[in-house]
Amino acid sequence: MNDHAQWNDTVGAYLLGALPPDELERFEAHLAECVTCRHDVEELRSAADALPMSVPSVAPPPALKGRIMAVVESEAELLAAAGRRADEPPETRASAPATRRRRRGLGGWFLRPGVALACAAVLLVAGGLAGALLTGGEDTRTVVAQTEVSGADVRLELEDGRGMLVARGMPAPPDGRVYQVWVKRPGQDPEPTSALWTVRDDGSADVAVPGPLDGVEAVLVTDEPQGGSDAPTRPPVISAPLA
Amino acid sequence: MQLVRRGQAPAFEVIYERHSRAAFSLAYRMAGSRGVAEDVVQEAFLSIWRSGARYERARGSVRTWVLGIVHHRAIDALRRSIVHEKRRASDEGLEETFETGERTDVEAARHEEAATVRRALQHLPADQSQVIELAYFGGFTHTEIAEMLATPVGTVKGRMRLGLEKMRHALGSGQVSLG
Repeated sequence: MNDHAQWNDTVGAYLLGALPPDELERFEAHLAECVTCRHDVEELRSAADALPMSVPSVAPPPALKGRIMAVVESEAELLAAAGRRADEPPETRASAPATRRRRRGLGGWFLRPGVALACAAVLLVAGGLAGALLTGGEDTRTVVAQTEVSGADVRLELEDGRGMLVARGMPAPPDGRVYQVWVKRPGQDPEPTSALWTVRDDGSADVAVPGPLDGVEAVLVTDEPQGGSDAPTRPPVISAPLA
Repeated sequence: MQLVRRGQAPAFEVIYERHSRAAFSLAYRMAGSRGVAEDVVQEAFLSIWRSGARYERARGSVRTWVLGIVHHRAIDALRRSIVHEKRRASDEGLEETFETGERTDVEAARHEEAATVRRALQHLPADQSQVIELAYFGGFTHTEIAEMLATPVGTVKGRMRLGLEKMRHALGSGQVSLG
């Protein structure tokens, strides 16, 4: 479908991120075939890339770095405990159709909906990530968990030092596996809990996190073989930072 | 960036230190609220952490790559409509701040680059800069902009392309580096 004339003026909207999703998909398909459009995109990309330079420079709050690094470090420790293979894209660990589609030029298997959903490794498509502290009474608060599972909404409800994971829109764990909850304390490997779970037909789950959460910096969820594991074998599907 | 692989938090921290200011500035410009900008930057950097090995050197500088991710995340946030009311209601000023100390030279160079890009934008015909700003910073699609301006979609797309072409000429090849 090398109908270049139809797309001639679309290059600008594409580079500005102004294409609706359906048109973006069709344009990217055309782009794969059209040398002229690829040339135009590369030529004009420098102008679009310069736009963020024009904004007033504003420093991020120092606390933001602390929040991000808390998640990064807890995941790094979890992955170290999980071993080297946890770092490999799911398609190398499981035979699964790899329907790859770049998401707006951002590669990365965490951003590939087709791969992630197809192999049901649960890992991480582009979706709502958040880590916000939503509410906070004296003894209760809700943390929006980090997850890139598309369409999933997972919160950790804390009350009197105990936690309840409330998940909505979660896919079932891969065949033969269950979700397992881990608690992560600073400087320590993630500790397994007895909370093994799957989701209801509608993708919902309410899971009590065993034990008090005093001193816990993050509650994590991985998918594990039936019966659970002593150390995580996969990267986290859900991460709820408490710091 | 080869170091930003899973398990190498210190390498990631370096990337954050280098680019978080530009990232936050862009997110703040788009969201108009510090809180939403923080969420966007957090989402973007965690996405980078989780997919850092996918940076493609051939496609541009790390800074461009990071800002591209921030831009997409901010657009997602805008289109989820979580921002629209907040940014309209925001009473926070966009107060420009500059770092002092050992990196002053870098900041000064970036300040100059920013001024160059602003001039290039300001010198565009108003109808072209308007659609570029609505699309890039406002997160609106061309159809939304066409409705807003009561202008055919084809015209809006044409203005976007023309505007970018003029900006490219104004900036000149290599004059404004995003590295």
